[in-house]
Parts: sequence; structure tokens; C-alpha cells
Amino acid sequence: MTTLSHATTSSTTGARPLPRPAMATYARLDLRRQLRDRIGMFFIVGLPTFMYLVFGLGSDDAVGSGNVAMYVMISMAAYGAVTATTGVAGSAAMEQVMGWGRQLGLTPMRPLAFVAAKAAVAMTVAAMPVALIFGIGAATGARGSWSDWVLAAVIVWLGSALFAIYGLAICLAFRGTNAPGIASGLIVVMAFLGNVFTPMSGFMLDLGRLTPLYGYAALARFPLTDGWLPVAGRDPLWLPVANVLAWTVIFSLLAIWGVRRSRART
Amino acid sequence: MIDTSTPAVRATGLRKSFRTATGENVVAVDDVDLTIRPGEIVAFLGPNGAGKTTTVDMLLGLTRPDAGTVEVYGMAPAEAVRAGRVSAVMQTGGLLNDFTVAETVRAIAALHGRTDRVDVVLERANLTALAGRRVEACSGGEQQRLKFALALIPDPDLVILDEPTTGMDVGARQEFWQTMRADAALGRTIVFATHYLAEADEFAERTVLMNHGRIVHDAPTTDVRAAYGGRTVTFRPPAEVVGTDGIDAAWLDRVRDALAPLGVTDLEVSAASLEAAFLALTAEIPVDAILEGASR
Repeated sequence: MTTLSHATTSSTTGARPLPRPAMATYARLDLRRQLRDRIGMFFIVGLPTFMYLVFGLGSDDAVGSGNVAMYVMISMAAYGAVTATTGVAGSAAMEQVMGWGRQLGLTPMRPLAFVAAKAAVAMTVAAMPVALIFGIGAATGARGSWSDWVLAAVIVWLGSALFAIYGLAICLAFRGTNAPGIASGLIVVMAFLGNVFTPMSGFMLDLGRLTPLYGYAALARFPLTDGWLPVAGRDPLWLPVANVLAWTVIFSLLAIWGVRRSRART
Repeated sequence: MIDTSTPAVRATGLRKSFRTATGENVVAVDDVDLTIRPGEIVAFLGPNGAGKTTTVDMLLGLTRPDAGTVEVYGMAPAEAVRAGRVSAVMQTGGLLNDFTVAETVRAIAALHGRTDRVDVVLERANLTALAGRRVEACSGGEQQRLKFALALIPDPDLVILDEPTTGMDVGARQEFWQTMRADAALGRTIVFATHYLAEADEFAERTVLMNHGRIVHDAPTTDVRAAYGGRTVTFRPPAEVVGTDGIDAAWLDRVRDALAPLGVTDLEVSAASLEAAFLALTAEIPVDAILEGASR
């Protein structure tokens, strides 16, 4: 640390140590800002927890290698996790629109470090509903083999990263301050279509199989259900895998198009 | 080792043109040569669209010139930014509404690797009392001071301010420049773009007048004023000749006759500037200071 006054340093310019960005400090401040957003955190943690308590708690009917409580628990944790990643990615896009990106552009931080910090914040926030709902489930009678627990938690958590790309794509496509609201609103619609909230059958199920949350949620429940659906029928493993891969490509292309478009304007 | 004679800014033959939405080619900056020495306080003065912001963007490495070269302390501008030698308060730079003032400073300080500077810059920008306030609750002037604090974090040798007081009321503008003046006294090089003549007049030692992308005049501020405005002598008429509809015409004729032998022409009658009146009535700063400023 220098003890020289500014007037001295400016006349003896030149060899000053190259500053090293403290990315962890930045990420921590950013995370705290995210956690202060009460409405956002309600949808990420409060609502899915509440829905598990209403629909899952005490449902001991058998499903695959476990019970209904386990099935509902995984679904609601998945909803919470994708709401988290969508929200954080959406707010990252908004920061760029608001001009914070220009402010960051005047620091020595590299753009890739910013993406890494945001990803760390998103995955930390996404881990919260997963940890909480799995914890409540474990304490209140959700049952499954140990591998169901581990695989489901890992797939729910890591798979939610797909929806960070989705949140980015939507916010870049719609721009404007209400874009994050649109993104998380669409998540609710897609959660219904994706067989996350209530079991579907018939035409709605056929349609739902094509929507983004279906593959992700089905994959997270696969260790438990082995593909058997709550109402009737069975999905082969390739179906949710293909769904996730297809939507990864679609969201990525949308996001790339959005980034190109926002660059072209400036 | 860079020797001390390295100019803060050396730009030669800068040129930049943009294509408008209608496909027209507009030259924003046209053959600008500029050298700024360390410690100078320079105003870029000109109307909107004169090329000030484009020039500033090129000094910061945010825009690449079509032709010409820019060096900041002998380095490429982007490199100087990364090294913390130069920083800026930009017109388009934004803040995050849900950070507090202190958090905003801490976040940017972290990215500069200068967390040791947080308290110093808060105090410099006169924000210590507002540290815990959320950005969205700050006035436009306070947010602008916050951006100034962010610019001070790397302890830069050169600060560039692009229209720093846009949208501020008169009092906030005065307060902002007081903060700036205190900082400039420490020897920082300061370049600011403005379209308020008074700001260049009061604050800058050197004024660069820009219009249509070209530098039309570059001289000490006092010279620019002398060349374009001359000097103005004002005096106050006795109260009994001032009516609600102006000054008594017969009395004015007598003044004209009395002054004619002295070679005085273009006698003009104007009211006290509203800005001075407004300040005198509302500001917390002593009235003496304003009068002193007005008479300079």
C-alpha cells in the first residue's frame, strides 16, 4: 500500500503495481444484492417450498423406488432452481441495458470474469431452494433410494444452468425493464406444461413433452421413476435427454442472436 | 519508466464518422489534434453534436478512431484504463438501483483491486453521510457524485468527465463543482465536456471549443472569453428610476449622453441573472461566494 499523497504519485508516474480484480468480493456483494430482493426470493424459495408442503407433504403412495412426496419434492426444487437462474441471468442482462456494463468496462476486469462471477451467483442462489426443499423432504417423509436423492439433487442443480441461458435470451430479446418479469412469468406457464406442478395426460402431455421444462424435470425424476409417468405411460430415457439438448441449442442460438443485436445498436 | 514530460493526452489527426439510420455518413470528429499536459484542467465546450462525447470515447478507448492516433500517458487508451491511469464519469454509465452507495463503491473498488480506497473516495465525493443509502433514493446530483467517486477509485492521474452536471439543478451543479475543485487542487489532470459556458468559465484553465467535429479555438479560458465576449461592465441604477415596466427612458438617455464621450457604445439593459438570484435565495453557500464568482 502506498503512503504517498496523490500529488506525489502523479508526478512520479509510471511503475505502479498492476491492479488485480477481487472477483470474489464483487460476487459476494452481487449475491447479497440478489438475496435482498424479497419478491424475487419469494418466487425462488418461498413459493416452491409452500407448494411442496401443500402437494407433497405426507403423500406416501409409492412412485418408482420412492414415494409421491419425493416426486413432488424434486419437481418443486426444480421449479425453484430454474426461477433462480432465470432471475439472475435476467438481471445480468438488465444491468447491461442500464449502463452498468459501461461502468464495468472502465475497470481492469475481463468480460469472461464477469460471466464467471454471475454464473457463481446464479448457481449459489439456485442451490438454496434445492437444499431447503430437499432438507424439508428428508425431514418429513420423502422416500427414495440414496442414489435417487443424490442424482436428483445434482441434476436439478446443474440442469438449472440451462435456464440461465434462457433468462439471458428472453431479456436480450424483449429488452426493457419488464423483461425479467416476462421471463419468470413464462417459467410458471412452462412449469405447468412441463408436468412440473400437476401430472398431465392425453393431448396436454403430448404437447408438454416438447416444452423446455419437461425434459429437465423428467430427467431429474428419472432415477426415482425410471421413466414411469404418474398418470399413465413411460418415457424412454432418450426423450428427456433429447428435449434438454434441443432446448439448450435453441436458447443458445437465441442468446447469441440477442447479444449480436444489442451490439449492433450501439 | 515514463519520464514526467509525457503528455497526459496526445491525439493527432483524430477522425471518426458514423453511419446514420438513413445511411448518411456523418463525420463526428474531424481531424482533431490535441495535447494535454499533466495537471491541466481542460474544458471541451460546444453545442450538442459538436463531437465532444465521441472525442472522449476515443480518449477512453471505447471507440476506435477511423484515422489518427491517441495516446494516454504514452499508452494505448484501453491499456491506460486497465492500468488505472485514466478513468471517467460517463454520460451513459449507469448505476444499480438496489445497491447502496457504499456497496456500489465497494463493488467497483473490488474490480480495480483497490478495496483500500473505498473510504477515501466516499469522503472525496462528499458521500460519507449517504454511504448507507440505496442508489435509487439518491438525487440526480448525488448519483453523479457517486459516479465521480467510482472514477476516483483507481487514483487516476487523469479524470475525464462527460457532461457531468446534465440534469442537475443549479445548487447540485455548484456543489458538484466544489467537490471537483477540491480534488483538482490535489494535482489531478481533469478534462470535462460541457455545453454550459459558465462551467468552462468558472472551472477550466483552458477551453477547447468544438463545433461540427473540429476544434475551432483552443486557448486559456480567459483568452477565449476575451476573444469572443470581451468584458462587460455592469452597474446598478438608483432605485427611483426603476419602475415595474423597466428603467425610466429619459434617465437612460442621460446615461447614454454622459457615457458617449468615453467611447461607450451598445448600452444594454438586462435584469440580474436568474441563476444568481436563485442561488442567492436558495443556496446554503454564503452569498458572498456567489457574488465573488459572478464578478470574476
